[in-house]
Amino acid sequence: MSVVVRSALSITCSTWKALLLRETVNRLAAGRAAWAWLLIEPLVHVAFMLTMFMAVRVTNIGGIDATLWLAIGLIAFFQFRRTANQCTNAISANRALFTYRQVKPVDTVLVRAACEGFLMLLVLIVAMCVLALLGHDVIPVDPLALLGALAGLWLVGLGFGLVSSVAVELIPEMQRVIGFIMLPAYLMSGVMVQIGAIPEPYRSYLAMNPLVHGLETARQAFAPYYHTLNDLSLGYLYGWALVLIFLGLALQVRFATRVASQ
Amino acid sequence: MIIVDDVHKRYRTEHGPGKWVLSGVSFTIPPKVNVGLVGRNGAGKSTLLRLIGGTDTPNRGRIERACRVSWPMGFGGGLQGSLTGRQNAKFVCRILGHEDQMADKLAFMQDFAEIGDSFDEPVKTYSSGMKSRLQFAMSLAFDFDVYISDEVTSTGDAAFRGKANKAFKNLADRASLIMVSHSDSTLREFCSAGIWLHQGQAYWFDDIGDALKHYKESIAV
Repeated sequence: MSVVVRSALSITCSTWKALLLRETVNRLAAGRAAWAWLLIEPLVHVAFMLTMFMAVRVTNIGGIDATLWLAIGLIAFFQFRRTANQCTNAISANRALFTYRQVKPVDTVLVRAACEGFLMLLVLIVAMCVLALLGHDVIPVDPLALLGALAGLWLVGLGFGLVSSVAVELIPEMQRVIGFIMLPAYLMSGVMVQIGAIPEPYRSYLAMNPLVHGLETARQAFAPYYHTLNDLSLGYLYGWALVLIFLGLALQVRFATRVASQ
Repeated sequence: MIIVDDVHKRYRTEHGPGKWVLSGVSFTIPPKVNVGLVGRNGAGKSTLLRLIGGTDTPNRGRIERACRVSWPMGFGGGLQGSLTGRQNAKFVCRILGHEDQMADKLAFMQDFAEIGDSFDEPVKTYSSGMKSRLQFAMSLAFDFDVYISDEVTSTGDAAFRGKANKAFKNLADRASLIMVSHSDSTLREFCSAGIWLHQGQAYWFDDIGDALKHYKESIAV
């Protein structure tokens, strides 16, 4: 019998593949119609907010269809929040798997982010199809900018998750702190408020939030005439992503053994 | 061959570092020798198995594995409750890089574990005996040089113990076993050599009988 020594890269690749399949099965098939709830949750949120806006007869925000404005903003924000939340809990949820020495804590975080990214892409497609059926114009003018913005938000979510997953393992109280960071993040990212209509100097303060740049770029991709920030910059969003991912990976390396041990 | 050299291990507690579970453990396990680990509860048997299996890392010292070592089987570790036995088994096939022979491996596991249709039920519905059957079958499906068992045979019934023993007798010419058990008969049945863990130290005995004798004397006092 020949002994084949696998390279580190091939072990990592097979671990990622195995984890991705396992994670997807877990997300889509755990419980009754779990896959339906993954789609329903953000869609119901969009529908609820829309009803609220309709009640005050808002049909146009900054020169763009209010329905589209809200749907894009929410889905773009969920792209960040769901990735961040899933990654934060990745290590504690997969603790049983560290029995196999091939599985490292960072693998579970990266795989969860990938899984969530795919799911949010599906949510976006379903939401756009529903809006198209309702008679809205859902073809983006600048599809590349939309993809760039969503990818940037996803990367920021991943970076946040890489940092927070280590943080909650080292300091359990961080779980609560992250819980109450998410609500202000939701309110201050321009999901419900048009950032471009806020007076200075407050607009500049809000523009320091990288999520704002992702959300507004995604909206502008649908309507170039959309009234938004003058200094909208995807580079700023990606800068944050780069810093967070670097910091997160550094923490994962530094605390790998402490996080994995029980 | 497994070389354990001056291994120290302690766990982190809520009040800083805990007391040393293992302090300066050194021994060498030669190839093809079945070893039983004995010691009182909390002596560090499971810790040592986890260190040998590479699941955890020592604070000081080093462990050299010049062979393929299984993961530590025991107490439902490595099984995810919400997934079925088959899904768990597939996961292990994939991380070990045996995806191309997955059908054969799964057939072997299903046949060896003898848990019938439960193989396609979530693991959280299993009894502890069924879990150990599955874990045992999962690791036997792969060619390791050393299998690590943490009390995994103790929850199995007599028929399963017989089967596991026979499987190990068949493997004896190419693989060995490191096991923890609180049952004398199991240890004598499976193992030739023994390691007695006592107050953070490990004592090697070429005969498992001697290890059990010292262990009994230490708890009799």
